[in-house]
Amino acid sequence: MIKQLLKMSFVVFAILQITACSKSETITAPVLTVSTNIVKDLIADTVLGLASNGMPYSAGKYTFFSLENNAVVANTDSATAKWDLAFISTRILTNGGTSGPALGGAFIYTGLFDDLKTIPADSIFKTDNAPTYAITTGSGKGWYTYDQLTSLITPLAGRVLVIRTASGKYAKLEITSYYKGGVTLPVSASDAEKLTKQRYYSFRYSYQSNGSKVF
Amino acid sequence: MSKKPIILLFFIIPQCLWSQVRFVKDTLFAGGDSVVVTATRSERKLSNLTVPVTLINAQTIQQTGSIRLTDILKEQTGLTMTSGFGAGVQLQGLNPDYTIILINGEPLVGRTAGVLDLNRIALGNIKKIEIVKGPSSSLYGSEAMAGVINIITDASVQTPLAASLRYGTYNTKDINLNNALASKSINYQGFYNYYTTDGYSIRPNSNNRITTPITRLTSSQQFKLNLNAHANILLNARLTDENIKSNIAVSNGGVTINSNGNEHNTDANLSATLNYHFTANLKTSFRSYLTNYISKQDLLTLSGAPYNDLLNHLFKRIENQSDWALSKKLNSIFGVGAVWEGVKSSRYDSDKIRKENTIQYGFTQWEWTPTDKLIIIGGIRFDKNATYASAWSPKLSMLYKLNQYHKIRLSIGQGFKAPDFRQLYLDFTNAAAGNYSVFGAAQAQKVIGQLNSLGQIGGLYNNYYLLKALQPESSTGMHLSWEYTPLATTFLSAQVFRNDITNLIEVQQVGTYISGAQIFSYLNIGRAFTEGAELEIKQSLSNRIVLSGGYQYLITGDKDQIAQIKAGTVYTRNANNMSARLTMSDYVGLPNVSKHKAQLKINYSNEHGFFANARIIYRSKWVVNNTNGNEVYDNGDDFAPSYYSLHTAIGKEYQNGIAIQLGADNINNYIDAIHLPNLAGRTYFINLKYQIKYKPLK
Repeated sequence: MIKQLLKMSFVVFAILQITACSKSETITAPVLTVSTNIVKDLIADTVLGLASNGMPYSAGKYTFFSLENNAVVANTDSATAKWDLAFISTRILTNGGTSGPALGGAFIYTGLFDDLKTIPADSIFKTDNAPTYAITTGSGKGWYTYDQLTSLITPLAGRVLVIRTASGKYAKLEITSYYKGGVTLPVSASDAEKLTKQRYYSFRYSYQSNGSKVF
Repeated sequence: MSKKPIILLFFIIPQCLWSQVRFVKDTLFAGGDSVVVTATRSERKLSNLTVPVTLINAQTIQQTGSIRLTDILKEQTGLTMTSGFGAGVQLQGLNPDYTIILINGEPLVGRTAGVLDLNRIALGNIKKIEIVKGPSSSLYGSEAMAGVINIITDASVQTPLAASLRYGTYNTKDINLNNALASKSINYQGFYNYYTTDGYSIRPNSNNRITTPITRLTSSQQFKLNLNAHANILLNARLTDENIKSNIAVSNGGVTINSNGNEHNTDANLSATLNYHFTANLKTSFRSYLTNYISKQDLLTLSGAPYNDLLNHLFKRIENQSDWALSKKLNSIFGVGAVWEGVKSSRYDSDKIRKENTIQYGFTQWEWTPTDKLIIIGGIRFDKNATYASAWSPKLSMLYKLNQYHKIRLSIGQGFKAPDFRQLYLDFTNAAAGNYSVFGAAQAQKVIGQLNSLGQIGGLYNNYYLLKALQPESSTGMHLSWEYTPLATTFLSAQVFRNDITNLIEVQQVGTYISGAQIFSYLNIGRAFTEGAELEIKQSLSNRIVLSGGYQYLITGDKDQIAQIKAGTVYTRNANNMSARLTMSDYVGLPNVSKHKAQLKINYSNEHGFFANARIIYRSKWVVNNTNGNEVYDNGDDFAPSYYSLHTAIGKEYQNGIAIQLGADNINNYIDAIHLPNLAGRTYFINLKYQIKYKPLK
């Protein structure tokens, strides 16, 4: 009897654990307000070709994204609070400071996505102040490393972008790939492939709609 | 065939004709080739050494068809060839920077990114190669941290004239001329080598030749003047001149820029030694040495922009060493010396001004033989440097002969590597790749300070404030070996070793420009270790057939990274591409190091001068690039696959001095263009040799 009870409680506990980070299943009230999404191949100003000097060129346009709606926002809305993040090559803007009119900010947490259950109270959210950004740019300093020898951008493992959205809500986000198809290209890929298949973001994120810092 | 060697031929032959040559017995090596000088800086029998030494003799070099130093080193247990900035050698898992390369005891200079290209050294006049494994700074100072490779040229005069012609795949020609003559007071050996190859391209769809067309000319002149029964003078001059048709590709952000042009390298060495024997128990030698390495690259990118690079390394040394046998049981060595060296480079702030360093050093070594079974050697060296911290290098080693079958060797020693000129004075901004800069530690603070006052600095990192005079990198090495010779036909040796390295000099970001471009310099921060085991066997199957083999097991690691992994702060990506904690079981260690390396050789030779051999070399996979989102090399990273290569050679030497040899290398045609650019596909060669030999005097 006691054994059965134990077993049952374990099963219940396990379900709670699983549902805590899955997107659609809802069992308990606090979980209801957290949605987890996976985004694949979000275009971030992909390379269009090579200029006459041999350097790659692109359109130079941001891709605006709403974490709340899990959708791309039109460029014409760039001056509004409709977007939370904007992507252009390896740079990611938050909607605040010098980048936008809203409450956006961010910081980079070192650790595992699943381990970040509550944003620590003493965390300091930075805001964009061009040319420095809340989500730090540069190899090894923010979310990625760039290898001079292989010309590959690799998202750093164990980095979570903790984001304050345009409306002042909270989200956590892990970038998993910078290349089309969701997997970093092998070292042996051709130069052409490394150029044309880059600037495709794949990431997962959890969005807390109730304004709390708990995921 | 080019005209050059023919001219040389005319130059040499008359010399041999006019001279009254006679055979002089070389007493030093009368007892066979098993005398080693490198381990103790004095002639010792291989069987009486207290430290592990690999000895490669001229016969092995010839029978394997080796013509450059790289060819023969890659077949040795525990040695791995590296590529990138020329062919270097990795010893006990340490990079080429940490092995000193000597010719007749004098160091070669001219390293690019720490690598001394071993293809520079022709083997046509080599008597033997001695390799001492483990820290040997107690005798050789800086760079002798992983070990010492000493190339000993042939000082015998049995062969007044020898000429060989070799032709191989990729239009590779190798021509050697050796001549020697002797009178009562003078011994002379001349050597000329001409090597040329069209190079090859094993990367498909690329105009990039992996090995580019090269022409190399080496000449060496050795004189020995016997002054009287007590004194002699040795004069050596060596010159290597190489022309390389370069086409290099610089890749940045997925854009590859090709450049074409010429690279011209000159390596000149001059040495003079006076040896004086006071008595049978006391002798001294004065050595002076000068070497200059000049490397010039004149390239033009396809868009027309020039790319020039200059390196000029001048090294001068004087040294005195005295050997004193106090008694039958006690031998000692004392040495003092001074080095002046300077480097000019277009990668420093000015290629007109030579950056200089001076070193004064002294060393002593004591060898005690209390019983027939035991030899104990202790030594210490002090190096005082003008531009960086001084270093003490002690070493203690012993040999215990358990009985006629078993020998135990044990040694512990310290090695160091001084900061090189690049780490001190580099002033390089890479316009081709993002305008990042690297400044040598000796002037980084000054240069960055100036840039800061001009308002060009965007930010300074904590590392900037940690910049200070660089310390030498240092290691402590331990070694234990057991040698077993149960029969005259069987040899077995097993050894374990460990090296602990501190103060590793690493490139670190110290700040950024306003533009965001990175600024780097050098700091003493790393800690690492290498440890492993080696096994060597040799078994005569009959009078004619000998089987030999070797195996090395090697583990390496970065101690700081290991501490981080154990603390749970290093992350990796799992099969689903999500972050996960890295565990020690997935940690690999230092890059470019293989866990297993082995080779096996079977050799047949008979009394009619015929020989045949087959060799197989195996290397297990090694990690090359960090690709899975951390700064640590682990199982999720990019590896070069394991491989083996098969080699063979057959030949016959006739009584009349003619010899012919045929060979095939990499018979299994293993190609890995990215990780093993120096390994061509299957190649063949034919070698013809003619030599005049004197009959030994009765």
